[in-house]
Amino acid sequence: MTTAATAALASELSPEAQLERIAAIGYPTKRDEAWRYAPHATLHQLSFGPSGAVDTDVLSEIDDQIPALDGPRIVVVNGVVDEARSDVTALPEGVDLSTPGHRVGGVADRLAVHPDSAVELAADAFVADAFVALNVAFGGDGVGIHVAPGRHLDAPIHIVMVSTSAGTHNTSCSKLAIQIDAGSSVTIVETKLGAGTEFSGGNTRTTISMGDNATLDHIVVQDVPSNQVHLSRTEVTQGAGSELRARLFNLGATYSRLQYDVHLAGEGARADLSGLYFGRGDQTLDQQINVIHAAENCTSRQAFRGVLDDESTGVFNGAIEVRPGANGTDAEQSNDNLLLSNRAEANTQPRLEILADDVACKHGATVGQLDDEAMYYLRTRGIAADEARRLLINGFADQAVHDVGIEALRTWIAQRLGHDDE
Amino acid sequence: MLHVKDLTASIGGTPILKGLDLDIGEGEVHAIMGPNGSGKSTFAHTLAGRDGYEVGGTVTLDGVDLLEMTPEQRAAAGVFIGFQYPVEIPGVNNMYFLRTALNSVRRARGETEIGARDFLAVAYEAMDLVEMKRDFLNRSVNAGFSGGEKKRNEILQMAVMQPRLAVLDETDSGLDIDALRVVASGVNALRGPDRSMIVITHYQRLLEYIKPDFVHVLVDGRIVESGDHTLALRLEDEGYADFVNHGLDDVPGRPLSGAPR
Amino acid sequence: MSETLRTIEELTEAGYEYGFSTDLDTDIAPPGLTEDTVRLISGKKNEPAWLLEWRLKAFEAWKTMAEPDWAKLEIAPIDYQALSYWAAPKKKPVLDSMDDVDPEIRDMFDKLGIPLHEQKMMSNVAIDAIVDSVSVTTTFKATLAESGVIFCSFSEAVQDHPELVREHLGSVVPFRDNYFAALNSAVFSDGSFCYIPAGVRCPMELSTYFRINSQNTGQFERTLIIADDDSHVSYLEGCTAPQRDENQLHAAVVELVAKDRAEIKYSTVQNWYPGDENGVGGIYNFVTKRGRAHTDAKISWTQVETGSAITWKYPSVILQGDRSVGEFYSVALTSKRQQADTGSKMVHIGKDTTSSIISKGISAGRGQNTYRGLVKIMRSAENARNYTQCDSLLLGSDCGAHTIPYIEVKNPTARVEHEASTSTVGEDQLYYCRQRGMSEEDAMSMIVNGFCRQVFDELPMEFAVEAQRLLSVSLEGSVG
Repeated sequence: MTTAATAALASELSPEAQLERIAAIGYPTKRDEAWRYAPHATLHQLSFGPSGAVDTDVLSEIDDQIPALDGPRIVVVNGVVDEARSDVTALPEGVDLSTPGHRVGGVADRLAVHPDSAVELAADAFVADAFVALNVAFGGDGVGIHVAPGRHLDAPIHIVMVSTSAGTHNTSCSKLAIQIDAGSSVTIVETKLGAGTEFSGGNTRTTISMGDNATLDHIVVQDVPSNQVHLSRTEVTQGAGSELRARLFNLGATYSRLQYDVHLAGEGARADLSGLYFGRGDQTLDQQINVIHAAENCTSRQAFRGVLDDESTGVFNGAIEVRPGANGTDAEQSNDNLLLSNRAEANTQPRLEILADDVACKHGATVGQLDDEAMYYLRTRGIAADEARRLLINGFADQAVHDVGIEALRTWIAQRLGHDDE
Repeated sequence: MLHVKDLTASIGGTPILKGLDLDIGEGEVHAIMGPNGSGKSTFAHTLAGRDGYEVGGTVTLDGVDLLEMTPEQRAAAGVFIGFQYPVEIPGVNNMYFLRTALNSVRRARGETEIGARDFLAVAYEAMDLVEMKRDFLNRSVNAGFSGGEKKRNEILQMAVMQPRLAVLDETDSGLDIDALRVVASGVNALRGPDRSMIVITHYQRLLEYIKPDFVHVLVDGRIVESGDHTLALRLEDEGYADFVNHGLDDVPGRPLSGAPR
Repeated sequence: MSETLRTIEELTEAGYEYGFSTDLDTDIAPPGLTEDTVRLISGKKNEPAWLLEWRLKAFEAWKTMAEPDWAKLEIAPIDYQALSYWAAPKKKPVLDSMDDVDPEIRDMFDKLGIPLHEQKMMSNVAIDAIVDSVSVTTTFKATLAESGVIFCSFSEAVQDHPELVREHLGSVVPFRDNYFAALNSAVFSDGSFCYIPAGVRCPMELSTYFRINSQNTGQFERTLIIADDDSHVSYLEGCTAPQRDENQLHAAVVELVAKDRAEIKYSTVQNWYPGDENGVGGIYNFVTKRGRAHTDAKISWTQVETGSAITWKYPSVILQGDRSVGEFYSVALTSKRQQADTGSKMVHIGKDTTSSIISKGISAGRGQNTYRGLVKIMRSAENARNYTQCDSLLLGSDCGAHTIPYIEVKNPTARVEHEASTSTVGEDQLYYCRQRGMSEEDAMSMIVNGFCRQVFDELPMEFAVEAQRLLSVSLEGSVG
């Protein structure tokens, strides 16, 4: 890329340019299908600005919350890497840390190392979503992880994103860009936590590109306190023969949005997504899941469960999209919801958009109660009705937890859910 | 110890049990046999306290009225049902489930709860009884279990719960000879002077392995004949046709297979 | 696969069987929609003041509303001012014998193959009733009169039963409900009116055919069916239209009221002109159909849709009464360049309500078929039950099938289940049938019919036969 082009690109990625874009495209409203159930009044209270200072006392409250996992850990607070809390000494060979390069100087640097990321960067400059634009503008340097080809990493790489109110604005943006080259396999754990009691927000974006035959186990746990809003977006592009296993847990925030888009771009790619959203108080937990089959013979599975208690609202808007020419598609989706109280709400939109013909797609969604037969069985074994209910509710939620391959993490999630995972 | 008098049960107005009488003494094993649709499973569910039935008559266990109790109360009173189609409960693991069950019953009886280590010992013993592998404890209740494994799990639970009265509903259905052997030997090992059993079965085969003290024939919601284990052999030879109309004027005959009425 | 594709193309290229028009001497209002147009229509129909006032209020509301844009439809903008809102053939209606019928009109119905006999009553812009003999007319009307069933055109009902119309008009679909409902409420031309008295089981199936004849005329039909306590009625609706180059607009409103323990079964076989291979011509079909079910009442919508260029309809049931039941069965075929955005809405309000939705979409050619449904369980709806099944069959690689259900549950005792699947007619299946002696066309037809079986079983018998025939004609290369 020429110097002039690089400079132009850098300029498009600048906060000024992004703010102009937002003025042009506007913020989402209730009329936008994907934002139908979001609390817009609350979202309008979010304010954005460059990554600022942090109250260190308030921050210290997250230290016992971070699960202890073997492997490198990177802690990002309000979009900026917290060196003291991070530990990258155990970073294995073949894994490089960098930045996604949106910052003005960063674009040139990034292109120097990864010349083919020009297209990606250009796409980032023109995404038609206001919150992505804000993330591009104010996410600072962010974190970039690059795994060289043919590496098999045993220990998970753990990224902790912390948001807390500080400075002149209440919402911080964090970026994470991951590139996994051909044939490599890695586990990435993202935990999203919050500190402080003031109203604040986190707006995170993770972009992942997987080379041919790469494998990724991606575990995301979003559990910020109820005085915060959390908007997260993950975009994964998969090369031929690659395999993604994503385990997504949405447990916290007054409004917690978990958007996960998977683009099956290479033949024979496979994506297996499962998740749990567990609502309490007056939370709204909003899952926006899109799996796009853009190549032949790809397989995808989505299995999401929601448990909604108190006055919480759960939203599942999951799409299977099959583009023309994506023959041999095998896609399934299921969403099951339990409502535990009279004031909880479950909204589910399982969508199929099929434009190719040689496909096998199905989806199912249920909203309902615990299985009568299972209740009866437990009671004939002496377990009283209340306890039987609790067992079954936990069992329902735990199925998502069981899918997590790291024991320490399973235990941690179970604790956050408020019960022991036996 | 179990007295069943004039037991009736209907679903949605349709009568299934039409006046069943049965008395079972301590330590006895009674077999109940009958053609399909005679009400065998309904009898088991009525003893267990399942919702959905309109029940009449009386059932007492050790002098206590069972019909007034909820399923978990009956479990605490010592009733155990081995189900014909054990339900799968994904997400709830066997170890946790069993320990919770055992402790619930102990609590209800005013006994001390069992601790984790002691429970493991109980669990291992029960598992060995039915030749269940150790990984069983981590698996979800009946999820992904073969037919044989599910039935063995029922007997395993019986071994853990140590009931006064065990009702085994078609425990042999769907089992091959090897599984049947294991299940039967587990049941036999659990026989004792303080425990009575009702073994419900359609075929005589199971009774070769679990020899009953008494055999009853259940047809169209009533017990129409009782005898010792030789009655089972007779049924094997002659089928149920003879019994279908036996002494029941108001019951339309349903011959089992082409036998003359 | 390419061989199969070619055959599929041939199959969906059926020339529209009913593409002809009749030169009737019609009375058409000049194009444009203003308050005067509304007054003109009301005046021509000699309507009472309260109805004119209602129309005017609807018109005012329409002016403040915006056309909906969220469906996945590509629509050339409709110029509402370019359409004419009133067209009546000059020959007089209200006939007692076949001799009085305009011979051209008789001819038209003959060509359409619409059988004129005791079981059917024809009602449209041109004629109120056509039957094949005076005695038959007498018998038919007499039978209905005996049981107290009122079945006539909407215009007649306004004259003869104004109190019934006034009580229920707009009670299920208020004119503010949506853009097309407002438009319809302002300028509706005619439609059917049906009242079944308490305790009466309507002795025959009521049916009516529609036809849009004139160029550039929108058809705005308004139907109101009221089933009083403990009554029962089965109503059939079928439509055809002539071939035209300009798109024609059809914005109908159908309101059903099922009182306590009543049952209304509403079946539609729709065959509007779908437009040619390039998407030119064809009917725009925007319909609001809704029923309100009271205590222990039941409303079923059954539809087979094979026509129209653009379909936008969501037959719905408001399950207001305790233990009320709503059902929706649908087969929608899109081929050539048709676009359909259709589905059902079930709103559960009372206790112990049940709804089921069975939707089968068949996409061929470049057709785009979208199922859009809403199951809404309100907080008050204790023990609600819903089962939804949406299946799509794709024939060919240029068509699309989309399923976009919305499920909103606000009561924890509800049980809602939704299943959807997408599939295609496999080479293996076709080969198997052909090896057993069937032609590829026949095999395709048989497999598609099997796919639709669940819905066809819900149609009244004569309709089921016609629906199957219609599906075959739409899918196969043969005409007639």
